[in-house]
Amino acid sequence: MIRFVEPRDLQEACAVLADDEWGNKVISGGTALVLMMRQGLIAPSTLVNIGRLQGMDGISRDDARITIGARATHRAIATSPEVMQWIPALADACGRVGNVRVRNVGTLGGNLAEADYAADPPTVLVGLDAVCHVTGPHGARDLPVADLATGFYSTSLGPGEIITAVSVPIGEDRVSAYEKFVSRSSEDRPCVGVFATARYDGSSIEQLRVVVGAAVAVPRLCDDITGSVAGDALDDATIRNMAAAISDAIDPIEDARGSAWYRRKVTAVLVRRAVEGVSR
Amino acid sequence: MTTTVDRLPDVLGLSIPMPDAEERVVGTLRYTVDHSVEGMVHGRLVRSPYPHARIVDVDVSGALALDGVVRVLTGTDLERAVEIPNPYFGLTRRDQAPLAMGRARYVGDPVALVIAETPQSARDGAEAVMVDYDELPYVIDPMEALAAGAPQLHEEWLGNECGEWRLHRGDVDLAMSQASHVFEATYTSPMANAVPFEPHVAIAAWEDDFLEVWTATQWPSAVRGELAHMFDTDPGNVQIRVFPLGGGYGAKSQLKIEPMVAVAAKMVGRPVRLELERDEVFLTTGKHPAVMDIRTGVDEEGRFVAREIDLVYNGGAYAVMTPKAVAQGLLRSIGPYRFPNIRIRSRGVYTNTVPSGSFRGAMTNQAAFAYESHADEIAEGLGIDPFDLRERNLLQEGDVFASGQVMHDIHFQELLHDVAAVIGWGDETTPSPGKAVGKGIAVIVKTTPPGTRSEVRVEMRSDGDVLVHTNSVDMGQGVLGTLAQLTAHHLGVDIGKVRVQDPDSSTFDSMTAGSRTTFVADHAIGEACESIRRQMAELADPDDHPGPHTAVDYQEILLGAGITSLIGEGAYQSTPSDALNNPLDIKGEVADHWHQGAVAVEVAVDVETGKVEILRCHGAAWAGRVVNPVRARQQSEGSIIFGLGPALFEEVIVADGQVTNPNLSDYMIPSIVDVPIELTSSSLESPDRDAAIHGVGEMTIPAVAPAIANAISRATGARVRQMPMTAERVLRAIVGEPE
Repeated sequence: MIRFVEPRDLQEACAVLADDEWGNKVISGGTALVLMMRQGLIAPSTLVNIGRLQGMDGISRDDARITIGARATHRAIATSPEVMQWIPALADACGRVGNVRVRNVGTLGGNLAEADYAADPPTVLVGLDAVCHVTGPHGARDLPVADLATGFYSTSLGPGEIITAVSVPIGEDRVSAYEKFVSRSSEDRPCVGVFATARYDGSSIEQLRVVVGAAVAVPRLCDDITGSVAGDALDDATIRNMAAAISDAIDPIEDARGSAWYRRKVTAVLVRRAVEGVSR
Repeated sequence: MTTTVDRLPDVLGLSIPMPDAEERVVGTLRYTVDHSVEGMVHGRLVRSPYPHARIVDVDVSGALALDGVVRVLTGTDLERAVEIPNPYFGLTRRDQAPLAMGRARYVGDPVALVIAETPQSARDGAEAVMVDYDELPYVIDPMEALAAGAPQLHEEWLGNECGEWRLHRGDVDLAMSQASHVFEATYTSPMANAVPFEPHVAIAAWEDDFLEVWTATQWPSAVRGELAHMFDTDPGNVQIRVFPLGGGYGAKSQLKIEPMVAVAAKMVGRPVRLELERDEVFLTTGKHPAVMDIRTGVDEEGRFVAREIDLVYNGGAYAVMTPKAVAQGLLRSIGPYRFPNIRIRSRGVYTNTVPSGSFRGAMTNQAAFAYESHADEIAEGLGIDPFDLRERNLLQEGDVFASGQVMHDIHFQELLHDVAAVIGWGDETTPSPGKAVGKGIAVIVKTTPPGTRSEVRVEMRSDGDVLVHTNSVDMGQGVLGTLAQLTAHHLGVDIGKVRVQDPDSSTFDSMTAGSRTTFVADHAIGEACESIRRQMAELADPDDHPGPHTAVDYQEILLGAGITSLIGEGAYQSTPSDALNNPLDIKGEVADHWHQGAVAVEVAVDVETGKVEILRCHGAAWAGRVVNPVRARQQSEGSIIFGLGPALFEEVIVADGQVTNPNLSDYMIPSIVDVPIELTSSSLESPDRDAAIHGVGEMTIPAVAPAIANAISRATGARVRQMPMTAERVLRAIVGEPE
């Protein structure tokens, strides 16, 4: 029998979670958690439902950032005028998660906390230096999305910690693009996802960033390879060399969506397309 | 005597909605999964985690100690149960027990059944059952299973033999040696799951010696016969009730979980319900994996002069239908072409995997992928247009099939021309920037299942209602509506007065499968209605009611004669044939009639990723006469959508003997987004108003995968000989990087 707890506030939720790090799980949209339970991958003794807590699902903007509540659904993000205007690549990535039924209940916080490698939003958020706001039994802290996932389905969240919101910096002169590749049904999780973002000074690139997701255990930020590109014109040969270098540098996983060989091939293609997509 | 009367307009050819259309849409239609019986308990299976193991001991004490657990049954209980004289069942070989007795033969083989007051306590009980196994060597690959020294699944069937059939005609060796060119290739396809929305679900209840089973089955008559055998009772003591199925597609053919609930209900003395979880559906049945070698000799003009086929079907752990199905597999491997010389061997093999069973386009999809891919490879090798190659070799009216049967009602040329015209064969391809675009065609033939029978009882009542009793199952194809239309057509009554009853064992029907129901029902209903007309004519005063009768006439006659109802019975029985008497020499009449279909597609291939997009798809079925145009179209187009999955990405993956993707997140089926925007179909009809009505349930699906394979090849030059044609396989074929 599974205990179903509806906490009155966040503090209570954190406290219940902290009681039993492995047995007690937080549930919101449930699209990932219930699937894992049905497959017998996890068997929680207590579900802590944060679906009825006030707040945590809004999307707000100030001059420096857009803050998205962890309980905001993929669909809410994909259709938010603020997100569409200021972080179109994130709206795009969220709008291509699963299908509309999944997007309508699955939440951003859940997506991040699940730390499934085959996901879209984390790849974009890592590339944009997004930060998770986390609350736990010992207070609140900020955790860069890049430091959240530590491996397959594992995160650096401590016992009892819950992601409450995600902040994404805005305001720079940036062009971003997310390339999602599904190898099976159109509603599949990504086989490879590549995010590219370029910060411009006029027509010259100040910084180019590429993040490879879904092909690897955790999103791979490729600053080590793209760092040297700044200032250069992004000609065809440069882009191809960079794509090849990234494809070589990643440590691809093998699953039913594709072999390691295949994921390297597709990564090279998607990096090139994404970078071409952010070229002015 | 010919008389004309004031007849109602004929309903044949009208798109009359299914009688339960509204209930289906608003969600009030009752399925077996919605049914419950007073006092019932719930079952939950404990399944083997090993592909092959001796069952040393099953400790049920932990489960029995739990609240709500009523009983835990094991194979040992079945062995000892006097109530079950014949615990083994099977329609071709009785090699399967409701619970494994002594040995588990695949991962998922049921070894115990926990029966409890609630589904949850049954689940808890199943987790508490402790089974001690002694692992045995296992074999997954059918070719390895055939090799000497391979682990053996059944002592009675040495060499893992699960059916072997052969056919030969002419002198293949001589013709091959004299052929201008010989082409050879191997094509493979894996297991796929039909994924019916409604899982397998059944309830069994005994009252004294009378057994009643509610089950989501396509084969109620077969379930009835086999359960009667298990309990050594008269089939009259077994009643099978079937609600409309929430999808079947072959997955609910033969017997699946009915023996388990029937046995359990007998042993606990209460009604027992069992509903499979989705992962269990994957562990219950699937499409036969197949390996097909083809060698073809052709002359300078591209005419086929000889063919040799070696076909191996993986039957899985239990026979189900495989020993007979591989005979159909043989006949369905030939394709719609003339072969003066042909030699075929088709084998079924036991392996330690999920038992294979029917799957929409059964034993045809695998073969059609091979022979229609091969046809294009030959055309390409000879530099002949694939359309021309087919036109040259297609079977025509009066031709002799490989079995020696003279073929009639043959329309492959019309189908080829129809799909080629719609896809614009020979015209420019659709511009698709950055992608390689190509068109492909495929034509298929499917034999009708032999030795089947269908009975119909039509009851004409004096209140004007017409009740039709059949044992045909509605599984979304709208059979109740179709049979109503046929009855209204044959009797000349208002279709609003015709009610087709859900199956209830009062009539016999071999199966609702093989796209045979409309064809056979037309015969059986025609006969039943003719009987009613004859009886009416005897009752009627010839002055008042001359000749055939309108509905009003019928009522007046019955009332005038003081009779409340008249019953007309009809049956269809397939033509007896000895063609399959000798498995090693199939010869003669192998089909009552020929299912014929074709598909043309245009695809765009991303040559950098191998991803295939279906731009357009058109299917054609030979219908003879169309009963209901909308439903015929839904069958042909639904078949295409169903076929896209196994063609492009559906595959039940087995690793270390274990199905690794038994859920709908890891096993993907096509989404609506995968369906081509331009999806069309033709149901070709004869101008002859008495032409045979053909089934249209599976005429396009076998042609989908080869048409796509051929289109990919014409777009990119790359040939994929393995289903599914995943993006990775296509890319590997393009860049020449084998797996």
